[in-house]
Amino acid sequence: MQEFLEFTLGGIAIGMIYAAIALSLVLIWRGTRVLNYSQGGMAMFTTYVAWVVISHTGNYWLGFVLALASGLVLGAILERTVVRPTEGKSPLNSVIVTIGLLIFLEGLAGIIYGGQYRSFPVAFSLKGLKLGGVALGISTSDLFTAGAVLAAALALALVFRYTAVGLRLRATAFRPDVARLLGVRIGRVLTLGWALAGLFGALAGVLVTPTTFLYPNSMDSIFVLGFTAAVIGGLDSPVGAVTGGVLLGVVLSYAGGYLGSDLVLVYGLVVLALVLMVRPTGLFSAAAARRV
Amino acid sequence: MTDAASLAVEEIVAGYGGVQVLDRVSVSARTGTITAVLGANGAGKTTLLRAISGFVRPRHGRVLVGGTDLARRHPEDIARAGVAHVPEGQGVITELTVEENLRVGALARRDRAGRAAGLNDAYQRFPMLAERRRRAAGTLSGGERQILVIARALMAAPRVLLLDEPSLGLAPRMVAQVMDLIRQLRDDAGLTVLLVEQNARSALGIADKGLVLNLGKVVAEDDAATLAADVGLRRHYLGF
Repeated sequence: MQEFLEFTLGGIAIGMIYAAIALSLVLIWRGTRVLNYSQGGMAMFTTYVAWVVISHTGNYWLGFVLALASGLVLGAILERTVVRPTEGKSPLNSVIVTIGLLIFLEGLAGIIYGGQYRSFPVAFSLKGLKLGGVALGISTSDLFTAGAVLAAALALALVFRYTAVGLRLRATAFRPDVARLLGVRIGRVLTLGWALAGLFGALAGVLVTPTTFLYPNSMDSIFVLGFTAAVIGGLDSPVGAVTGGVLLGVVLSYAGGYLGSDLVLVYGLVVLALVLMVRPTGLFSAAAARRV
Repeated sequence: MTDAASLAVEEIVAGYGGVQVLDRVSVSARTGTITAVLGANGAGKTTLLRAISGFVRPRHGRVLVGGTDLARRHPEDIARAGVAHVPEGQGVITELTVEENLRVGALARRDRAGRAAGLNDAYQRFPMLAERRRRAAGTLSGGERQILVIARALMAAPRVLLLDEPSLGLAPRMVAQVMDLIRQLRDDAGLTVLLVEQNARSALGIADKGLVLNLGKVVAEDDAATLAADVGLRRHYLGF
């Protein structure tokens, strides 16, 4: 029972990281039907920004904020420069471009920062928390991780639901043709979508890197799991992305805890395969309902 | 007179890829008039509207709205210049609520006051939409959707309204209602309307002028009453 509690709470904490990556993928997929394979590379790159700032200034929060800001800027720049020309072309073009971006970003990081593993600091203690003498299997740092992603996801939901910008994002995601007819400048909306995706990727990067170390490929496996979470949620739904992330985190935490932790990434792929076999549209996709 | 909402299409040539659909089509509509665009399937009626609203880029010709040439501009800029295009069927965003659909229509408007006033006007004009404001637009019937897309187009306070087959698939009673609405928009708001219709009889019933397209060319153009009285034309092109 004690173990079960630890695995559950620990799984929710790591699941929030997958949720952040999944959200960044969903933000781009909804608007453009582009799957951004470079999302992990972008998050790795912005984490290096944080690492440089923190090691020079010693100020964690300055590094944290600048990583998020550089995520916004990086997303916007990449959409405007490399992704925009693939719009309206075969989907394969955007797949190749974003995979190329991933290789480019990882290569560039290697050239600038070298390939060695760097440790990355945490904002809060990693010491396990206890409640009435019972170990919970999570730390203050885990609480911060979960809280930060939840707060960001909630803020996104509020923006989507209650602001003109959010209405633009949703109208463009559902019906870009209709949005254009009504005078919505969808080019700007798509840039904004990529910027927000860059922000969520950057958040995931700084939150997960203390547990993985920082190196040019450090986000690869996190990306795969974040992608799995997005697929579980249906790729279309922000709520699905968060739910998918938490579900995956908990399932993998049980699998790692009870079956052995060496194969966590493999378990993740098994989950992905199962979801694609049983319910390829995901658990929360509107696409299934729309086809009826 | 100032003709701020006039629409003049001059010698438009347009098509898709290598296929030319419109062959030097010209349309001239004065402010506050309804022009019916008639013709069989494949005559180029929808392409004409798409060329005006910028979704098809004309290879030749001009599209003057209030004297300004909008040809070859982006669709979103043409919409912002006061041209509202209501495409055939499927125009509502089914995932959004009725009110959100209306609000999308006003997104391009700069004035906050105008956006709020537009919503009030829409609900006053269409109480049916006010009753269903919080419902997903996908739950509306075909006739209700047609009202919603027209109301949404009006949210941008357009000068020119392009309507593509607004009566398609509607029950006869709804067709009469929609035609009545279009006539009101001309009379009350002074809108310039280009009305593409298969239902030639209904369209000519409310239109000031009409033109008939066949294989991408204008084959007849006259007062609506004159066209409606032309038996040969009716038998050949209009089917009533």
